[in-house]
Amino acid sequence: MNRYSKNKVLLSAENIHLQYGEKKILRDINFNIKDIHREGVEQGQVVALIGRSGIGKTQLFKTLSGLIKPTEGVVKIGEDQHPVKAGQIGIVPQNYILFNHRTIYQNLKIGLDNGEAKLTEDEKRRVIEDYAATFDLSEHLKKYPAQLSGGQRQRVSIIQQVLTGNKFILLDEPFSGLDILMVDRVIKLLLKVSTLSEQNTLIIVSHDIENATAVSDTVWVLGNEDGKPGATIKKEYDLCEMGLAWKPEIRTDRKFVELIDEIKQQL
Amino acid sequence: MLACVITKGMDKIKAFFEPLRILDKRAMMLLMIAEVIMAILLWQLSGGGLIPAPARVFTAIGTIFTYPDFIDNLFASLALTIKGMFFSIVIALFISYLSIVPVFQPVARFIVKCRYLTLTGLIFLFTLLTSNGHQLKLSLLIFGIVPFFVTSLLSVIENINKQEFELCTTLRMNKWQQLWEVVIIGRLDQVFEVMRQNFAIAWLMITSVEGLSMSEGGLGVMLIKANKYVQLDIVFATLVIIFALGIFFDFILGLFRHWLFPYTKLETR
Repeated sequence: MNRYSKNKVLLSAENIHLQYGEKKILRDINFNIKDIHREGVEQGQVVALIGRSGIGKTQLFKTLSGLIKPTEGVVKIGEDQHPVKAGQIGIVPQNYILFNHRTIYQNLKIGLDNGEAKLTEDEKRRVIEDYAATFDLSEHLKKYPAQLSGGQRQRVSIIQQVLTGNKFILLDEPFSGLDILMVDRVIKLLLKVSTLSEQNTLIIVSHDIENATAVSDTVWVLGNEDGKPGATIKKEYDLCEMGLAWKPEIRTDRKFVELIDEIKQQL
Repeated sequence: MLACVITKGMDKIKAFFEPLRILDKRAMMLLMIAEVIMAILLWQLSGGGLIPAPARVFTAIGTIFTYPDFIDNLFASLALTIKGMFFSIVIALFISYLSIVPVFQPVARFIVKCRYLTLTGLIFLFTLLTSNGHQLKLSLLIFGIVPFFVTSLLSVIENINKQEFELCTTLRMNKWQQLWEVVIIGRLDQVFEVMRQNFAIAWLMITSVEGLSMSEGGLGVMLIKANKYVQLDIVFATLVIIFALGIFFDFILGLFRHWLFPYTKLETR
């Protein structure tokens, strides 16, 4: 069931350093996210970036998305590995920012209006209605963001990015402030988005180790190393290789429990 | 039974004096009516000397309504205020939106500081620059309102959450689209609110500028004439009319805001 292969690099970081004045925030960040293939599944990639609060997760998040230029190094994207530009990676912020003056339908339509595919108004309506049905938002299309719950806004925020055509989506603390049932729904939602297309790549920035790990195929631990300023990726766990990826009941697996403990030690 | 009613009544009265207590609509309305009645009673009891008592003022309001030129004066003031507001909002919006472009920022900041300039000192300059009384009044009104408008609008723009621009970037909007979506369309409701709040400034200034050229009439002219002949009951009655009209327009603009921008009534869950 878990036969897979990793092929071309889709997103990479080379020697990323970020410094504000004398303060080093990020140091020597290097990684590759490769396109995972699984037979019979449109398998996207899900990476968890785990670190303590204030370690520099958000700065790395903004650097990866092209919103912040690193002091040194480069983030490359796509099969041709060109340097990332702002707008090529979608962002779902922790507080699910949406356009409050627009209805949910209009918020989603903005994603399509600026998306890669040029569609007619009728086609756009059909696509939006399809996604809304898939993600339980059909009855909310005429509402404004202020009328939705946090979980509903999160779904709109994610779909908005998907509709823009962004294959890479960064999610900032997607489990923050949610009750246990909502966390399960979000995990299902993330898995659904990651399997919408082969190249869909989600990077989950979180300090919730268990949930972020449960949904991911790769885990990066961001932290400080003794005597060196700035945070770096201290450890990378390939959950596919460890046989811990894509398992719905992963939480009961002893190896998973041990892994969570090990990650905790790293922080 | 009676004791229970009395206790409940006492609790309600206590609530009026409790800090941070939120009253229901009915209780607040009752409180307001009671305070208005008390204020009028106080006014009645302390009046009769230099300040005319409420009964005299209300009689004078009736008298003002019978003046043949009252409607003309009222419309002259309203027309000038609306005209002044229209030009002011257009100019202020233009300056505020341009302030996003760095080269125009110093100009916008200077205009904000113009709040501290006195109009009185500039009347002579404006008299030279304008060709008639109407233009003089209008230009002084605009000059008086625009700095306040720009101040409020810049504050609206400065308070925009940077994440909204980041969202636009991830949705592949260029800078002009971001300006349109976040600053212009996204803040129209707040611009309307700024207009509503600054309408009070325009309404406040109108009586002052109308005195500069009395040929067109206006509520300000009525006030000046009544002051001149020491008709204090007419002065107070005119003030009551101006006050009531101001509150009425504020209410209407508030209704308009909710009608035009329904999402402003909603609270984030």
